[in-house]
Amino acid sequence: MTIATDIRESLRIAFDALRANKARGVLTTLGIIIGIVAVVLTMTAANGLRNRFRESFSAVGTDVLYVSRMPWVVMDDFFLYRNRPNIELREARTLERKLRGKAIVNPTINGNRDLLYRTETMSGVDVIGTTDKQTRMSSAQPQSGRFLMAFDVLYKRHVCVIGTDVKDGLFGTVDPVNKRLQIGRTRFRVIGVMEKQGGSFLGGPNFDRQVFIPITSFVRVFGGDHGRTDVMVAVKAPTQEAMEDLEYTLIGEMRKIRALRPAERDNFSVNKLDTLVGSFNSVMGVVLLVGLLVTGISLFVGAVGVMNIMFVSVTERTREIGIRKAIGATRRSILLQFLLEASAIGLFGGLVGIVLAAILTAVINAVLMPASVSVPIVVLAVAVSISVGVLAGVVPAYRAARMDPIEALRYE
Amino acid sequence: MMPASREISLSLKEVVKTYVMGTDVVHALNGVSLDLARNEYVAIMGPSGSGKSTLMNVIGCLDVPTSGTYHLEGQMVARMSESQLAELRNRRIGFVFQTFNLIARATILQNVELPLVYGGVGRSERRSRAVSALEKVGLADRMKHKPNELSGGQRQRVAIARALIFNPSIILADEPTGNLDTKTGDDIMAILDGLHAAGQTIILVTHELYIAEHAQRTIRLRDGVIESDMAA
Repeated sequence: MTIATDIRESLRIAFDALRANKARGVLTTLGIIIGIVAVVLTMTAANGLRNRFRESFSAVGTDVLYVSRMPWVVMDDFFLYRNRPNIELREARTLERKLRGKAIVNPTINGNRDLLYRTETMSGVDVIGTTDKQTRMSSAQPQSGRFLMAFDVLYKRHVCVIGTDVKDGLFGTVDPVNKRLQIGRTRFRVIGVMEKQGGSFLGGPNFDRQVFIPITSFVRVFGGDHGRTDVMVAVKAPTQEAMEDLEYTLIGEMRKIRALRPAERDNFSVNKLDTLVGSFNSVMGVVLLVGLLVTGISLFVGAVGVMNIMFVSVTERTREIGIRKAIGATRRSILLQFLLEASAIGLFGGLVGIVLAAILTAVINAVLMPASVSVPIVVLAVAVSISVGVLAGVVPAYRAARMDPIEALRYE
Repeated sequence: MMPASREISLSLKEVVKTYVMGTDVVHALNGVSLDLARNEYVAIMGPSGSGKSTLMNVIGCLDVPTSGTYHLEGQMVARMSESQLAELRNRRIGFVFQTFNLIARATILQNVELPLVYGGVGRSERRSRAVSALEKVGLADRMKHKPNELSGGQRQRVAIARALIFNPSIILADEPTGNLDTKTGDDIMAILDGLHAAGQTIILVTHELYIAEHAQRTIRLRDGVIESDMAA
């Protein structure tokens, strides 16, 4: 008897046996179903979070380098960075001059200020001192009015461009253009409203709750801490491919501006969106791992259920095993028969679980966050459910295969 | 004992089978030698504990002797592996049991087909061979029925059809009429007699004298040895 016919016949026998014990099979399968639903949902949720993260940062170009005092993600000792000098606006200007023709350079300063328009207030709004180059850094453009222009920056004008959340919060239905609002204690005239950029990601920056003002006005009005400013410089590469070269050039120019000796370490950091995505992914990886571990336990419980029912199945079919052996079934055929029966339970549970998980995912998609069951997850879930069945079936099937036909035939 | 002019079907020499039960060693067979020619019709008799079940298990390749030799159709069975024994049971032995031993979930046709399944015979050939085997025992119209929808006599006929499907060297019938009334038992014996007349070698294990009388030769066992071996 060849392996192929062995498998085909064993499969048929296994399915006959399952059909004969429907209720029991369904109950046993329930354990696998719950396990698979849990595992699939965990992976789907992780995927959804990752997509949401990527989406919320899509306004920040991936072809932009950010020079700042501190790295975005502090991997090692914070005290290595705390004594670094601020990046001055003056240094940003020098950098811009040096990189002219190679990249677009845009310095920014961030601060949190309270806003006031007549009786409406908003507290803790992101106020960003920037230049006219801001709109070339990301895809965000004004929906009405205009963005800052070079002369706004040059003449330190008190004008601002607001995000949609700020517009809704302060102005309601009133057209904010040319209205004056108070940032901190200083009045600025609204010259434009940015288009909506979409929701924030779990405590990440909300790009709609921002106010842009000329960086020069920022320095003059808010002055930084004790007259010092710490600027973040965005440097946009002309193409994605030029990023690597640009980063190299950028570090070189910054070291020259800072007059660092070859042995000295950089006292500034160059960040990319990749850095953030990378650290997010590593956090996500841990979360996913823990999630899979926990949901894996429920799958394990399901597997124990399958193993239990296979033991019962083997015991109550002892006589049948004896008959089959007497008329020529080999150990291998018996082993295969029970292994396939167990894996069929697993597969069935897996398929039902995937369908249920897909339905739940649709619900999550509708109310919570964008999520979808991906093909790799489905393939993985099917593979996992079959292997769970096989693993759960090994010991019972082995016991069946090893039965003494004489004893088995005598079994009542 | 063996008629020298005829081909030997099976041959046992000094077969010993011992079981260890706790601290006791039980000699179920204590030096049994036996030759069987092709187309013999033999009854094995003996009280319970005489070793006739053990002898049947050895002849049926369900068990191997502790010592001694056993040749079936010239093949040395005594030291075979589990899978070789399974193949012998599949091809060379046809079992007919007292309790029929059909698989309850499967149809009659599937039951009769089963040895062919394990023998690796293709689906369509399997089907036609099983159908013709069922026709021989007069159950062609019941193929799609389950065993529990049949009478005892019909079930035993299904078992005989299953035993015959591979044209085995030996039919081993263990109390084939034990669970049947006299009339039905006679019908089953008539089928076995007919098979013998057609050239089949048959070993009948029984403790009923009138059943043993169907055979041409009667072997009586007692305490693991052959007490008598007579032609009818």
